[in-house]
Amino acid sequence: MIDPIDRLAVLAAALPGSAVGQRHIAAPFDAVWQVIADLEQNTPRYEPGVAHVRVVERDGEFLRLLVGDTTGRESPMEARLRPGWCLMQSASIVIAFAARDLGGQTLLAHLEHRRDSDRPVGVAKIDRELHVIEGLAQGG
Amino acid sequence: MAGNLFEVPANFPDVDPESVAAAQQGDVLALDRLLDELAPYVRRLCVRIAPAAADDAAQEALLAIFRGLPTLQAPEAIMTWVRSITVRTAIRLDRHQGLEIADEETVMGRSDSSHEGLVDIDDALARLPVSQRVVLVLRTKEGLSEQEIATTLGIPAGTVKSRLHRARAAFREGWES
Repeated sequence: MIDPIDRLAVLAAALPGSAVGQRHIAAPFDAVWQVIADLEQNTPRYEPGVAHVRVVERDGEFLRLLVGDTTGRESPMEARLRPGWCLMQSASIVIAFAARDLGGQTLLAHLEHRRDSDRPVGVAKIDRELHVIEGLAQGG
Repeated sequence: MAGNLFEVPANFPDVDPESVAAAQQGDVLALDRLLDELAPYVRRLCVRIAPAAADDAAQEALLAIFRGLPTLQAPEAIMTWVRSITVRTAIRLDRHQGLEIADEETVMGRSDSSHEGLVDIDDALARLPVSQRVVLVLRTKEGLSEQEIATTLGIPAGTVKSRLHRARAAFREGWES
């Protein structure tokens, strides 16, 4: 199976205008992935536009979510989640995380793509979120 | 022995054209599934055509395929399109890495000592120049006709025929030495 970091690069190639960032995180893979995989608990902690996430259906790797934003609007998303790979999409946005175990450290990559190309995501936002995730993975 | 040059060619992955169309329209979960379906085939071709550069060739080919997916006019033709991109990428990467140790004219004259340690068919194939290796792989391992190889490589069918002839002779010499 293709490495998740390489997989995210291929996904980015298919989504022109997407913002992608990477960070070497000083925490083990399992700790980092625990943060990413707990979508309900942790997404609102690193994604400033999200107020809450509810998993409404789970079928193996495939999930259906309801995501509430900070304006009170709730949108459906579908996702695929497995160790090292998380891909989510709604009508307006695509979000992906990929992680590679570096032996005690973790390379984490993050992609966001707005389908409305008039409002592209900035790389600075990606970097901020990766920084927050690092803090969470380190027990912050 | 690791391989049989005359094995029954493996078929293409069974890719649903509707899934391809969904991926083209921006369904990223369909894109993700398509990647699952294509990646093993792309990697297999790259291992056979550019064995020493297979990882880089497979990743570059997948990047080119998914970057170009919106331009694919006929979803039902995706596998011939994928094959063409992958083969050309593998040839380029093999040449780029300078792994081709002899050109078509000199390979026939290699000393016998160059074949020491020859252990299997894949090893014999890897010792051919890429221009010969690719036609032999596509003909015998992938089961393509000479015309299909010509279309894949963008060269005349007559050139395919002559390269196949030289490749078989070079392979036989390497194998029997």
